[in-house]
Amino acid sequence: MGRPRSILRTVRADLWNPAADPLPRMSRPRALSRLPHTLVVLYALIMGIFPSSEGMDPTVPMLAMMSAAVLVIAMFRPLPAWWASIVIMIIGARTGLTYLGEAQTFPWMVPEAPLPGAPHPRYVINEVVAFPWTGSGMALQAGVLFLLALRVRPRVAVETLLITTLVAVMCVVFLPEYSSGHPVTALPVYAFAVAVGAGVRMLRTTRTRLEAQQELTAEERARRTVLEERNRIARELHDVVAHHMSVISIQAQVAPHLVDDPSDELRENLAGIRQNAVEALTELRRVLGLLRARDTPEDAHRAGAGTGVGTGAGPRPGAGNGTGAVNVVGRDALGYSLGDAPQPTLDRLDELLANVRGAGVALTAEIAGEPRPLSPGVELSAYRIVQEALSNAMRHAPGAPVTVRLRYRPDALTIRVVNAAPGAPPPPSPGAGHGLLGMRERAAMLGGDLATGPTPDGGYEVSVFLPVDSQKGIEATS
Amino acid sequence: MTSVRVLIADDQVMVRQGFAVLLNAEPGIEVVGQAVNGLDAVAKVAELNPDVVLMDVRMPELGGIEATRRITGQPDATVRVLVLTTFDLDDYVYEALRAGASGFLLKDASAAELAHAVRVVAAGDALLSPNVTKRLITEFSRMSGAPRAPLKERVGDLTERETEVLSLVAQGLSNAEIAEGLVIAEQTVKTHVSRILLKLGLRDRTQAVVFAYETGLVRPSGY
Repeated sequence: MGRPRSILRTVRADLWNPAADPLPRMSRPRALSRLPHTLVVLYALIMGIFPSSEGMDPTVPMLAMMSAAVLVIAMFRPLPAWWASIVIMIIGARTGLTYLGEAQTFPWMVPEAPLPGAPHPRYVINEVVAFPWTGSGMALQAGVLFLLALRVRPRVAVETLLITTLVAVMCVVFLPEYSSGHPVTALPVYAFAVAVGAGVRMLRTTRTRLEAQQELTAEERARRTVLEERNRIARELHDVVAHHMSVISIQAQVAPHLVDDPSDELRENLAGIRQNAVEALTELRRVLGLLRARDTPEDAHRAGAGTGVGTGAGPRPGAGNGTGAVNVVGRDALGYSLGDAPQPTLDRLDELLANVRGAGVALTAEIAGEPRPLSPGVELSAYRIVQEALSNAMRHAPGAPVTVRLRYRPDALTIRVVNAAPGAPPPPSPGAGHGLLGMRERAAMLGGDLATGPTPDGGYEVSVFLPVDSQKGIEATS
Repeated sequence: MTSVRVLIADDQVMVRQGFAVLLNAEPGIEVVGQAVNGLDAVAKVAELNPDVVLMDVRMPELGGIEATRRITGQPDATVRVLVLTTFDLDDYVYEALRAGASGFLLKDASAAELAHAVRVVAAGDALLSPNVTKRLITEFSRMSGAPRAPLKERVGDLTERETEVLSLVAQGLSNAEIAEGLVIAEQTVKTHVSRILLKLGLRDRTQAVVFAYETGLVRPSGY
């Protein structure tokens, strides 16, 4: 007993839903976004005008008009419209009798006036038919079912089709006077309308899902790029810390040798320092192992690790390289294949600039203010930002002159890297976007700012503000 | 017995001086020079002819690995290179061993470990910390990919017994362990090892291990 009842409840929940569910606009082309709606209204107008003729029940044109109105409503509230269409079907089957001669043709095919002498078609087939089984009656009913199937789940569409069929059969069984047999034509039409509607809906949902998936993938990729950059930055910084730690551990060991007859307290103290440094190093190695395990091939390439290490003194491109090889030469010139060199600081900026010049770039460098050693994190980040900005300039504006400006201010270091407009459109390059992200991350980590954008003359500018009071940087990031 | 003459190559002055102080305090070890980068190290080796070079991997101008390759690539070079790293088992260590280094050591090693490593490398007849070396070599051979060249003939120069000994050496066994396994005298094993090194033109035991893996004589278990 429970099962049929629960089925009934489900059907009721499915079908008794007056909620608005409008037919969506077309996403593209934009100019045609309202095309589906226009077509439905046009269809309703054509099908809804039923020319009256003799021998026809006067309710028929009215029923046709109502059906057309219901079809228009179905664009916005498909389920209520469908219920209305069922009501019209029942009323039409009861009262809307007309002659088959006109009825089976569509309204616009009915001759306005019979040709003289020719027998009027209505006299040829003189059978009576009720409105729901006329051409336009079926067309309007099918239209409602089609619009419904577009908007609702396939199960609901099938339910409505079954109920429509059931009602149609009941009409024929219980109102048998004239209209027997005609629903036979109507039922396949309904089924076809539902099938097409459901099919189109399925295509649509599949496409929507695919688009959502693609969007998600793009988002995922962007997030991964950020994470990779952070990973790289974290690795470099841990690397710097680890080197400092190992120096501490060595110095703590050396210190007792530097004094004559060191006291036990001193020895103990230094042993403690060394112990702590060694433990910190152990942890750092774990962290670094973790960070390295997540390396992508791209990272490995950038870091110059692996088999590339030690194949030479580091490629040093000669002057006047062909521009076609700029991408490849560029990265080497920029010292990405640092290999077994230590993490760079601004001390090595001159070397970097010389390499870029060596790759054939017209480079101007200006250093303003009082150069002084900054904290290792700032030095490393500043170096990497200049490196990355130069790499971008070489990649996106090959051959264009570049200016690098560093300004040491009391509270900050500012960097500007500006390139002029490229002579020719740059070749498409993979991995674009990585560089900007990395620079942004580095600046943000230090509590600094990064601004990038095109210059009025068609070039590109990267400007960075790095606070040198490291404490501020820590506050800003925490 | 003359003392082991050591050259220290590191770009950080604190590290150089620190190691110099620690090693000079050890009996039988003498620091004869310091180099500030790889190029300097190559020049100083030619000039001072030390027994052992303590080589930092990461140095400006010329990195430690390439410097190692240049130093050990010299014909009739007898100097042995001990690579210093901040991180154990990283790519640089594998590269360093392939470049001809005889061992590696962490920078935060204790003075005793440091002195021990220098002595072991100078003697050349034992592996530096067999456990770590074994792990390292397994990893090393996994990542080194295809053997460099068909070296079958060169292995063929070895006698059957020598090949057997070489494969045991490559598994990180000491001379005593090999002697026990093959039921021969330890002195005999020593002779075998020297003959292997001589025949293959290898510097020391570590390089013999690298050779065995690179030629595919030994495959790490599980591969």
